[in-house]
Amino acid sequence: MNFIKNLQGLDRRYVFIFIAVAIIIPLAFPFKSVTYTTSPVESLYQLIDSYSPYVRADDLNNDGIISEEEVEAFKLDRAIFMDFYHDAATMPELFPMEVAVMRHCIYRKVPFFTFTILPTAVPLIEEALSVVTEEIEKTGRVIERGKDYINIGYKPAALYLPILLGMGDDIAAAVETDSDGNRIENLPMYRDTAIRNYTQMNLVYETSGNDQGLSWMIYARPRFGVNVAVGLTAVMAADQYPYIQSGQCVGMTAGLKGAAEYEKLVDMFAMNNINYSKGQLDDPTEEMLANLDITADTVPTEFKMARLGMNAQSVAHILIIVFIILGNIGYFLEKRKQNKNL
Amino acid sequence: MTLLGEIVAVLLTLAIFSFLYKDNPAYRFAEYLLVGVSLGYALPLVYKNAFEPFVLQRILVEHKYIFLIPVVFGMLYWFRFSRNYGWLARYPIAISMGMVGAGVTMSMNSMVLVQVRQAMIPIENFNIFLIFLGTITVLFYFFFSKAHTGAYGKFSRIGIWYMMIGFGASFGYTVMARISLLIGRLQFLADTFKGWLA
Repeated sequence: MNFIKNLQGLDRRYVFIFIAVAIIIPLAFPFKSVTYTTSPVESLYQLIDSYSPYVRADDLNNDGIISEEEVEAFKLDRAIFMDFYHDAATMPELFPMEVAVMRHCIYRKVPFFTFTILPTAVPLIEEALSVVTEEIEKTGRVIERGKDYINIGYKPAALYLPILLGMGDDIAAAVETDSDGNRIENLPMYRDTAIRNYTQMNLVYETSGNDQGLSWMIYARPRFGVNVAVGLTAVMAADQYPYIQSGQCVGMTAGLKGAAEYEKLVDMFAMNNINYSKGQLDDPTEEMLANLDITADTVPTEFKMARLGMNAQSVAHILIIVFIILGNIGYFLEKRKQNKNL
Repeated sequence: MTLLGEIVAVLLTLAIFSFLYKDNPAYRFAEYLLVGVSLGYALPLVYKNAFEPFVLQRILVEHKYIFLIPVVFGMLYWFRFSRNYGWLARYPIAISMGMVGAGVTMSMNSMVLVQVRQAMIPIENFNIFLIFLGTITVLFYFFFSKAHTGAYGKFSRIGIWYMMIGFGASFGYTVMARISLLIGRLQFLADTFKGWLA
């Protein structure tokens, strides 16, 4: 009993050491764990997947066989917009989900724009793009900047609202140039396609450590009907649920858990070039399961960062729960002793 | 060069972590460096992406002198450092506030009206009933024109429970977020050391 009471006065630095050990061991020796997906993440995945030429060409022919010409033709009028509103401080939570969404887009040939109004987010966009493109280029497919995606890059914060509203009419007129200074209208992803405004670029995925996603829900959604999804740090997640419930936000990846869920969906479906299916999610094939083993080398580390992190997260949570229980037992024992002494 | 970058990143990470033991010069150095580097990185980027295309290009190359108006208004911010002319800085602030005000109607729609409308849907299942009950009881709790006693007090107390559960969920997410940040740094350290040993 004295041990439990002594925990009340335990130096906080011992707690730090326990937490550090609880995190380092699962990271050093990864174990298999199950990642359960939630509906906000599934909705986002499903929506992005519905923009894929593979899904749409398949729907058209209804024969399951999709030629490259069909894929290219269907690639011309759907895109997503990724708004990075964070710096390196929130990178552990947000970066894996950004990589997972980009990877999904690249593998399923969904064109996308990347954009930020924070100077410190510029290298994060470049890093995410290089992680994803390097992997796919190992398969022999060449990813072209300006054709498969457009990195708008940094634009001054004062232009946020004009750009947000201007893209409702014309993306090229609103943002003018990409991160390399090229005019948007000269880039193949705009020039050779029908992607012009929110009608085609019908999903904005905003990643941030605050409620910046509300700007899109307040200005862009009511006026242009654009779908808005958010990628948030876990701290902000609880505040966003009312917007999910009201339908103003079509999907959400919250914290490391949300990123892990998205990573799983990408490995199950996009990496096998299979259309999303709830049935297969609940009852995966052997082929799908092969991609989900995070202890194996089938998936490169950078694409299972969140799932590896969630292993450590689970152990740390158990330790914190144990500490809370012990701390409370100690508190009540101390209180009982004080009452007896009165 | 990559190795040098990794060594610097590892040392700075360890310097930041050293605060967990106690405040020390290594921690303060890393902290000040972060602030300085962030600002140093942002300045040329803002110059290249904002000042060059929207001031120099528009005025000196395209001769669109109308852009002088926002430039002059923006420069009024600098008068904040003057005791006599500090009042001039209020004008660009007023314009910024006006822009915020322009968004009030849109905010009312998205953050209030749509939310209210979505709270008025038929109670078709238990989840919707819980949302309905939570909305009503929390609203009752914040109605202070009537004493919270008797049946009314008991009903509004349910609202407190709803809020406590909400705060608990937020706190749980906050713990998860903080642990995630630690995981991110430890993952970086582990991967870097693994790379050095390989």
